[in-house]
Amino acid sequence: MIGEISHLLSLSAVLLLTLVLIFNLFFSFNKSHPNQLTLSMRLFNQSCWLVFISFGIYLYLAISDDFSIAYIASHSNSQLPIFYKITSIWSAHEGSMFLWIVFLIAWSYLFLNSLNKNHPLKKLTLLMLSLIILGFLLFLLLTSNPFERILPFGAIEGADINPVLQDPALAIHPPMLYLGYVGFVISFSFITAYLLNGNFELQWEQDIKNWSLVAWIFLTIGITLGSWWAYYELGWGGYWFWDPVENVALMPWLAATAFMHSLFASSKSDVLKTWTMFLGILIFALSLFGAFIVRSGIIDSVHSFANDPERGLYLLSFSGSITLLALTIFAYRLPALNSSKLVVSGSKESFLSMNNILMITSIFSIFLGVTYPLIIESIYGDKVSIGPPYYNTIFSPLILIAAAFIMISIDALWQRSMPLRTFFITTVPPTLLSLLSIYIVWRLTGIFSILAFIGILSGLLIIFSYLFKTIKNLSKKKYINKGSAVAHIGLGLLFFAVSMNSILSYEKNLNLAPGQTISVNESVQEFHFKDIRVLKASNHDVISAEVSLLHDGREISLNPQKRKYATRGQITSESAIHASVLKDTYLTIGDQLENGSWTFSLKINYFIKWIWLSAALMVFGMLLTIFKKKAL
Amino acid sequence: MLQARKNRLWKLILILFLSAGGISLILFSLNSKLDLFYTPSEMLQADIKSGYRIKLGGMVKNGSINRNGTIITFQVTDFVQEVPVTFDGVTPDLFKEDSGVVILGYFINGMFEAEEIFAKHDENYMPPELSIDEGKV
Repeated sequence: MIGEISHLLSLSAVLLLTLVLIFNLFFSFNKSHPNQLTLSMRLFNQSCWLVFISFGIYLYLAISDDFSIAYIASHSNSQLPIFYKITSIWSAHEGSMFLWIVFLIAWSYLFLNSLNKNHPLKKLTLLMLSLIILGFLLFLLLTSNPFERILPFGAIEGADINPVLQDPALAIHPPMLYLGYVGFVISFSFITAYLLNGNFELQWEQDIKNWSLVAWIFLTIGITLGSWWAYYELGWGGYWFWDPVENVALMPWLAATAFMHSLFASSKSDVLKTWTMFLGILIFALSLFGAFIVRSGIIDSVHSFANDPERGLYLLSFSGSITLLALTIFAYRLPALNSSKLVVSGSKESFLSMNNILMITSIFSIFLGVTYPLIIESIYGDKVSIGPPYYNTIFSPLILIAAAFIMISIDALWQRSMPLRTFFITTVPPTLLSLLSIYIVWRLTGIFSILAFIGILSGLLIIFSYLFKTIKNLSKKKYINKGSAVAHIGLGLLFFAVSMNSILSYEKNLNLAPGQTISVNESVQEFHFKDIRVLKASNHDVISAEVSLLHDGREISLNPQKRKYATRGQITSESAIHASVLKDTYLTIGDQLENGSWTFSLKINYFIKWIWLSAALMVFGMLLTIFKKKAL
Repeated sequence: MLQARKNRLWKLILILFLSAGGISLILFSLNSKLDLFYTPSEMLQADIKSGYRIKLGGMVKNGSINRNGTIITFQVTDFVQEVPVTFDGVTPDLFKEDSGVVILGYFINGMFEAEEIFAKHDENYMPPELSIDEGKV
């Protein structure tokens, strides 16, 4: 019964939104009536609340183990802690789509209600947002209904959540990611509304700036959490696999990063306005493309949900039409938009636009990498896959050029060309220092890898040039853009950490009997397999190994485990990780051989924590920018 | 006016030229970096050069897993042909007999040397090609 109420509320929201659209599309030419917008807003707000309440009830149903709802029955279990009962809602397609839509509505609700009552773009934005929300609500209810009942009798017990998903990082990863993805619906619909409106005297940047920055923060946190989870839970020891689903999250992130940079440029110097609008539309279009790739099952990946052509078709046609609509409006207004202002070469905005082009190139390359297997398969019928080597070769030259431009642009001025003297003063010291550091790395490690050195060079160029600039300006008591400095140092650190990780990390496969001690190499002098035990936990059995290592003269004890879950019979490995400043000692237990010995995989991963730190720095930098007193 | 048009034309040509160059570079890099996917029968027919990395998909043959130290050997089958595989390392949790695997590696002298083994995070997973083939068997 309660389930039906929840279902009915969502259906009524569809009805109200349809009403908003019909009401405005058919009567919009009668401009005289002042109450039209008020009424539309009221209807819109009510439909938002209907969906919120509907979701609230759904949460209650999940917590109270209502296994007559098919979705809850197949993804939850009465033995789960309440926390995982809630998170089980977004552990598969239907529920996660529901959450996605709730976030979409929440962003729209907050944005529209924050706009001034008489804002000239309010009505058009409202229409755009209603259209998008309506499309996705219909998608949810028609093709992926989370409210479906098992009739006539519900299940007695739920089928349980997949154990690898029973993890706090993964529980918050999808919500963060979705908040990021759908947050860009605001720039998308606001820019489309601006273009439709046709009054180009209006200022639009300020209205959506902070909204986009916040969405960017969520997206960054979401991607990082996913990567962190993959690292410690999947037992592969990697943090990024260039998996299609990771790629479709990276594309909107890159577009959003480019968007924010050109947003700053266009508000500082009145150039790049058209370009900024295009990017603002592109981010959400890429988010929609991502939703299509993940939810249609067209690409086989760890993340993809079950294959369902009907869903894919609906998503493709709906997202396609929305994007096409926005781009058509954009193209139609393009001739009127072209500003006569040109970018001065050597100015800050010129370097910024260069990096914008580089980011678009990366997006295009990733897009090609994701879609190329599909194209090949449909033309030649061959199955192919594209792995890390492709992305590494594409990205290394791009990030080096980007890093160089970032370094040069530090001392460049808005709208003015840069004197040659300044150019040399800013670029020479960091370049020399970075090259020297690479030489030291080469001598110390004895490893020579062009790709990795390019990465290290790019990272260090950015870090050193920002550090120099900060020290110089602090000593002269001059203004420094703290947010930008912190975020860029974070980016440099990311390049540096990823490259160092790729050349220094290594893996050893070992085979030992309990009680045995061996020496692995000079660094891991002693590997002592003390004991192995079988334990019982609430919903799983545990095989836990006790291992002690003598690693670089320090004694470490590690407990890698294997778990067998009762309900699904699934086995998962829990890697044991010991972290120090420079490296992680990462141990996974394998299988038992006939002679009673066990296999282990020992990975020494360098600079992993620095990768998470770099993401944290970028987020922190962005927060500083948001809370800066001086506007733009 | 004419001069302005000429300039614009040159610019356009330059942009087209540069993007064509960029795209062909990317495509070139793509072609040398992609892994073709084969089933055992397809792979044995295809005459693969030993330096060529490919993906092999199939089922782990029942009773074929053999462990020796950290080295594991097994047969991958598509219920028509079989290929022996060798791998050094710890296999994924869902790797077991009679279930689907995708293996990345090199086919050298009748032995498939695995670099990486993937078992999907779904206990009912089977490579799409095989689910069709098995229907026929």
